[in-house]
Amino acid sequence: MRTVDRVDWLETLTGFHDSGLRYLDLLTGIDRGDDVEILVRVVDPARLAEPAGVETITTLVPAADRRLPSLVSLYPAASWHERETAEMFGVGFDGHPDPRPLLRRTALGAPPLLKTTVLAARVVAPWPGAADPAGGRRPARRPRPLGVPEDWLREDWMSEEAT
Amino acid sequence: MTTQHGVIALIPQACTSCMICVRECPSWCITVDSHQEEVSEPGSRRPRTVSVLDNFTIDYGLCMYCGICVDVCPFDALAWAPDVDYSSDDRAGLVHDTERLAGWVPHE
Amino acid sequence: MIGTLSARQAFRLADLPGVRVVMASLGLACCAMEVESAVRMGLLLEDDQEPAEAERTVLLVAGTVTDALVPAVTAVLAELPQDTTVVSFGACAGTGGPYWDAPTVTKGVDQLVVVARYVPGCPPRPDALVAGLRSVASEGGIRS
Repeated sequence: MRTVDRVDWLETLTGFHDSGLRYLDLLTGIDRGDDVEILVRVVDPARLAEPAGVETITTLVPAADRRLPSLVSLYPAASWHERETAEMFGVGFDGHPDPRPLLRRTALGAPPLLKTTVLAARVVAPWPGAADPAGGRRPARRPRPLGVPEDWLREDWMSEEAT
Repeated sequence: MTTQHGVIALIPQACTSCMICVRECPSWCITVDSHQEEVSEPGSRRPRTVSVLDNFTIDYGLCMYCGICVDVCPFDALAWAPDVDYSSDDRAGLVHDTERLAGWVPHE
Repeated sequence: MIGTLSARQAFRLADLPGVRVVMASLGLACCAMEVESAVRMGLLLEDDQEPAEAERTVLLVAGTVTDALVPAVTAVLAELPQDTTVVSFGACAGTGGPYWDAPTVTKGVDQLVVVARYVPGCPPRPDALVAGLRSVASEGGIRS
């Protein structure tokens, strides 16, 4: 698996397509913090066991300009993959013939799979794990449920004084 | 005979109220209430501090039967049991407390 | 809009002839697979007939009730007799289950209709289904 520059994205995939890797297996995103990494895997179903039959590449899309050329003209199957990646990570795919949301019923609201998008229910609901363990030893740092960033936690909601 | 994941049983004598299962549960369906007591022992200079479990509950309305709590308990206080017949008229009846959880008989 | 008739299947409990189970098979497939399993094991028998007089209809809601599917679920509810007993099968249909935190999930079918029995499980086994239905039947009003 290798990483290419965004400017080489379409050309690299065109090369794969021309060399017989005509089947799009997967296109998805990974939130790397400052950038969103877009990963694509294309294969030749007849050569799956060979190194030349499978190619997986990634590119980084910066937060300041979250766009990437669409692959639909090369791989029609990319249509749904790109629509899902767009709505989940807030990435725009230039040239996509049908950029509607795929799974979400609205385009409003923060992209759900970005790490900066906190699941409100988990912040608001009292976490049973925040209760003090036997002995009343308060940990120096209030334990947080997994995935809730420091500044999102309403400390007072989970303290004894508030209940 | 398979180890049927019917319901999760508690062995209260083994529970130290460490809260690891509570914190690791992805569904947040476990609660543990506990307090500490000092126990004087004859012949020892200082009293021992022991944890006392007040209430252990699992909400089987939210439980997804992943078994992380069973796996993660350092004292094997939680175990799978085969029972499946515990449907309820209301949501509250799906929350099992210490007594009810201790009543389930784990697999051998 | 999902065709409501195609979303329903009717069954009878193999050992409780007076109970006719109409299953709303909406939402995630996991719990519906266990109902299907109960059919394959012979615990539920498929049934095409209209309910006879004095027979009670039980609606089994198996699977996650997403907000998108609420209109389809309420359409099924509207088609059934007034005294239909609703049984929620599995954690999602009962409370939203592991998806209680999702903005797109209805936290249990009891947000839409009164539920007579909650069968816990994720998914519940076919024998849990039969045990739950038997509890409903034994609570009275249903001949067997």
